Amino acid sequence: MAGEHEIHVAGADADVARTAADAAIADVARIEAKYSRYRDDSVISRVNAAAGHGAVDIDGETHALLRYADQCHAQSDGLFDITSGVLRRAWNFRLEPPRVPSSEELAPLLDLIAWRDVEWSERSLRLPRAGMEIDFGGIGKEYAADRAATILMERGVRHGFVNLGGDIRALGPQPDGAPWRVGIRHPRAQEVAVAGFDLVDGALATSGDYERYFDLEGRRYCHILDPRSGMPVTHWQSVSVVAPLCVVAGSCATIAMLRGAGAPAFLDAQGVAWLGVAADGTIYRPPAG
Amino acid sequence: MAWAEVVVDVTRVERPRERRGDALLLSALALPGVVPSVAAQSVPDKGIFEAQYLSYRDWQPGRNRMTVNAPAFYALMPVGDTWVVEGGMVYDSMSGASPLYFNVLSGASIGDYRTAGDIKVTKYIGNQAVSVGTFVSSEQDFLSRGASFNVQYFSDDRNRTWLLGVAGTNDRINATNGVAPNSRRNSIEFVAGITQALSPNDIVQSNLTYYTGHGYYSDPYKPLDTRPSQRQTWAWLTRYNHYFVEQDATLKLGYRLLLDSFGSTSNALDVAWVQGLPWYGISVTPALRFYTQTAAGFYKNPPFPTGYVDGDNYSADTRLASFGAITAGVTVAAPLWDGWNVSLRADYYRQDPDWQVFGTGSPGIQIFAARWLQVNLSKNF
Repeated sequence: MAGEHEIHVAGADADVARTAADAAIADVARIEAKYSRYRDDSVISRVNAAAGHGAVDIDGETHALLRYADQCHAQSDGLFDITSGVLRRAWNFRLEPPRVPSSEELAPLLDLIAWRDVEWSERSLRLPRAGMEIDFGGIGKEYAADRAATILMERGVRHGFVNLGGDIRALGPQPDGAPWRVGIRHPRAQEVAVAGFDLVDGALATSGDYERYFDLEGRRYCHILDPRSGMPVTHWQSVSVVAPLCVVAGSCATIAMLRGAGAPAFLDAQGVAWLGVAADGTIYRPPAG
Repeated sequence: MAWAEVVVDVTRVERPRERRGDALLLSALALPGVVPSVAAQSVPDKGIFEAQYLSYRDWQPGRNRMTVNAPAFYALMPVGDTWVVEGGMVYDSMSGASPLYFNVLSGASIGDYRTAGDIKVTKYIGNQAVSVGTFVSSEQDFLSRGASFNVQYFSDDRNRTWLLGVAGTNDRINATNGVAPNSRRNSIEFVAGITQALSPNDIVQSNLTYYTGHGYYSDPYKPLDTRPSQRQTWAWLTRYNHYFVEQDATLKLGYRLLLDSFGSTSNALDVAWVQGLPWYGISVTPALRFYTQTAAGFYKNPPFPTGYVDGDNYSADTRLASFGAITAGVTVAAPLWDGWNVSLRADYYRQDPDWQVFGTGSPGIQIFAARWLQVNLSKNF
């Protein structure tokens, strides 16, 4: 989980705020450790290490996340696929000079993107082919933000928000009743806000082409990759979604990036508020209501 | 946030609306801990003050019996962030004739007045809450004192609560007629329970209570009344509430089974429907209670003193008879302003030996009826 994390608590006794925030931070750290791709002892690493071999035992929380990921897969017509992380093997956004992988490099990786083939139940998960992998990008950090907000609320915090690397879940207005005003970064000018959303108790998440990327011959290549072609999406610079839960906002934003021109219809059907910055910089925002 | 804001406008985040496209939100709500649970037993953060006035009257065919007027007060106060103090007081004043065949008021006699109070302190520690309480009830001829200790344990998702409790009571009976002076009764009660939120709209609770006591259980005002000096009861109470979203209504069901070592068994079934109305937050709650009990082993049918054998247990108290009863009531509640709420409640109770559904009712006792009127004013602060 990259980016700045912030828990903002207002209008509460300092001890309550500290105890509540500590509990929330501990839970975020727990989820990060449990589902990190970078830690050998995480659930994700164990599952990925066993790809092509046996099933790995999973607990109820992991099963719930898989079920949600499965729903995202269905709602995105297969575009949101938690097995698509294998494409990282061909795309290195840090390489100097940058390089676009060939279709011959991508083809064998595309064969490994197959959420439909994954064998999973309430208790176990098995990746059927060696080389397959899963990750909870687009939902894990957002799930952690929702849980952190719940922990704060259950400990009596009524005013504040959780910000995990730009994915924000509010848990009540400012102490004077005013909503939290959250600015949306301009995808091409990070210190400029293109718009603002007012949050009281909902969530805001943004998916953009500026997190990991390279520019080559006038074209932006970003880390959000279409599982059908293995190529970066190009229709939007960023999509921001406001939803009751951060995990919904985050997954909707990612699916919108993947759907490209189909994003407005998808987002409107999900009943969420959103703002999109198209490839040419045009700002799209449906009227509220 | 040092961003220059170019465009700012307002989008209030509404509660999720019911629509088919909400598929992702609906499945996200199945993730553990993403929203506070419906049964979230976190520390109460608001105080409550309640004032209540109860008027009771009962009668048998052709004659009025007893009236009781009882003002009561209750208050709950959070103290700091993890402590809650709550307490109540009630003052009953009674007048009227002592019923010939019935006395539905608990206690050893019909005193002129009763004053009772209780106080409870609860400390919340993480997933647990520990309560210590004490209570006292005093009449001219009766003094009851007790203490209670409860431990509650909340699951991490706050959807489940376990309860373990114990309470001890010490009673002193000094009948004004001089029968059995300085009598005592001691009892202890254990309770174990679980409350589970099944969904955002369903909650179920089940409690098992065991009571054991020894001492003076007879009624000093009833001639020849001789009851066992030991008593044990088992009570099993289960309640279920379901909220109907479209109707904005809650169905409340309750069932209680009570087994008494005196030989009687009682069943009580409660049904209530809390209907929210589209005006000013008003709700109307019709409620029905069906109750039956079998007679105590030493209860003897009239005429008095048929069946009395010197040295054996004996009672002609019709409260120990076999009968059925129905209570029908309605409550109207409305929020006022500034956290104040008012409710009015009326109940009608009718008891009839022919309404005993488990076996036959006791013969020779008259139909008995009562009504309650209750006004309750409360404030959250």
